[in-house]
This record gives sequence, structure tokens and C-alpha cells, in this order.
Amino acid sequence: MVPQLSWYLALSAILFTIGVAGVVIKRNVIAMFMCIELMLNAVNLTFVAFSSFFHDVTGQLFVFIVMTVAAAEAAVGLGIIIAIFRNRESLDVDDASILKL
Amino acid sequence: MLVLLFILFAGLAIGCAIAVVAQRNPLYCAISLIGVFISLACLYVMLAAPFIAAVQVIVYAGAIMVLVVFVIMLLNVEQEERRRSRLGFLVPVAVVLAAILIAEATFIIWFVDRSPVRTLSNVSDTGLTSSIGSALLTKYLLPFEITSILLLMAIVGAMTLARRIKEIPPGAAVVPGAQVLPLHMFDPTIALDDTRAVEAHGSDEVAEVLGVPDDHDPTKRD
Repeated sequence: MVPQLSWYLALSAILFTIGVAGVVIKRNVIAMFMCIELMLNAVNLTFVAFSSFFHDVTGQLFVFIVMTVAAAEAAVGLGIIIAIFRNRESLDVDDASILKL
Repeated sequence: MLVLLFILFAGLAIGCAIAVVAQRNPLYCAISLIGVFISLACLYVMLAAPFIAAVQVIVYAGAIMVLVVFVIMLLNVEQEERRRSRLGFLVPVAVVLAAILIAEATFIIWFVDRSPVRTLSNVSDTGLTSSIGSALLTKYLLPFEITSILLLMAIVGAMTLARRIKEIPPGAAVVPGAQVLPLHMFDPTIALDDTRAVEAHGSDEVAEVLGVPDDHDPTKRD
């Protein structure tokens, strides 16, 4: 018996759900950022699993592009976090709610 | 054997992911997230995708997490405070919705397991570096180029965001409402590298600090 496709999809769904729960629960900007990275990785696992089980290289290509987008997101997001911290002296998202109506 | 490896790495990934959410110190979150990345890289190797596994370790566990840990160290954040409970009646609603969602997911997985499986067991070169590279530079050349432009924009954006603005030039436009200004603009005796900020309320106060005439009189606005 070998691992089936549905096992990988279930693992991906579990990781994605944990990531969503982290984004909702966490109040620290950096911790929320890391939970978003966790969600991106769960989607990557889905791509690679489908690509491997259907012998199509397209899924792995898009994993590559998703990783590039994650790197760009990390650079810009951490720049925003530094800017918020410089202005607010805090990493709590509840302290940076000036745009909220 | 493969099942045992899958259970090992999947359990490691789930455990580390729960640790990411459960930890209160962001540094421990980052270490747990590196554990998730490494176990996912092992799963990619099991899925016959060695190139993606290597990129996962190098780019995610290497570059991105080093950047995150660097920012955590730079900002020197203290332990996350215990958040005040303000959810109230939303908790039972969330429990009901989560039960519905879990029931749906269980039904889908149960259904998928009973559908006929297409087995493609012939050996292929999907996952190797040469097939990924040739597809990336022929069929998917446009996404590749767009990705490079995206990276360039990210470089420019990150530098623009992280740059420290020393002072607002004279004659700068003043937006009415609460303004967040560096402390040294209010008191010139404070050193420039003191990054604390204060809030000024109203455009006239900000204009007084900036030394610009406040010609936007709110009483004359129509």
C-alpha cells in the first residue's frame, strides 16, 4: 500500500485550516505573516501532489512561481511591518487600525 | 514503508503547524515553521519532485525564514500579550459552522476514496530539473518573465517602504485629522534617531509643527 492522492489532499487541507485559524487568532503581525506562509505551503503541497500523480509538470512550475510570489511578499510585507513598528511602537494589529471605519 | 514515512512526515508537519499557532513567542513560531517546511520538503521527495524539494529548503527554509527571523531580532518583540476575550456569542456560532465544514470535508474524502482511481504507474521524468527548466523556458515563458518583473517591483517596494524619511519638506500638504509625526519634529532638541512618534490632532497643529502656513481653513470649506 502506498500513500494515495487523497491523503496528500487531506494533509494539505489540515495545514491550510491551521494557517487560517492562525491568521484569525493571532494578533502579532509577524505571527500572522508566518501563518500566511503556512497557507501558501499547503497549496503548494496540493500542486505537487496532483503534478506527481498525474505526471504533469505544470503543477510543479506553478509551485515555483508561488514560491517567487512568497519571496516577494516576504520582502514587501516585512518592509510594511518595519514601517508600522517605526510609527506605532507595536506589532499588535489592533494598534494599527487607523484605516478601520 | 512509504506509508510509515508519510505518517511520520505528515505528523511532523501538522505538529509543527499547530506549534506555529500555539506559540506566543514569534521566534518559536519561526522555528516551528521551519520544521513544517523541512517536513514538506521530505514529502515532496516522496512525491518524486526533487527539484521542488531542494527549492523549498533553499528558498523557504533558507531565504524567507532568515528574513523573518532577522526582522524578529531587529524589532526585539516581547512576549505576545494575552488577548482580551471579546468574542462572546461568536464562539458557539463558530463551533456550529466548523462542525458543518468538517462534515462536508469528511463526506468529500469518503466520496473520493470510493471513486475509481486512475493509476498512472509508468515511470516519467516529471519532477526532474531538466523537464521543469525546459517547460519554464518554452511553454511557460510569459509567466516566467512576469515573475521577474514582480520581483523587481518587490525590490523597489521594499526599499521604498523600509526607507527612513528624515523630515517632511517645507510646504508639504497637511491632511486634516490625527497625524502621526516623529517626536523630533515637535521638539528639535531630541536626537534624530529617536524614532518615537506622537499624534497631532488637527491640521493647524501639524502646520504649526511643520512651520508651514495653514491656508486650508476648515471654516471656509464648502
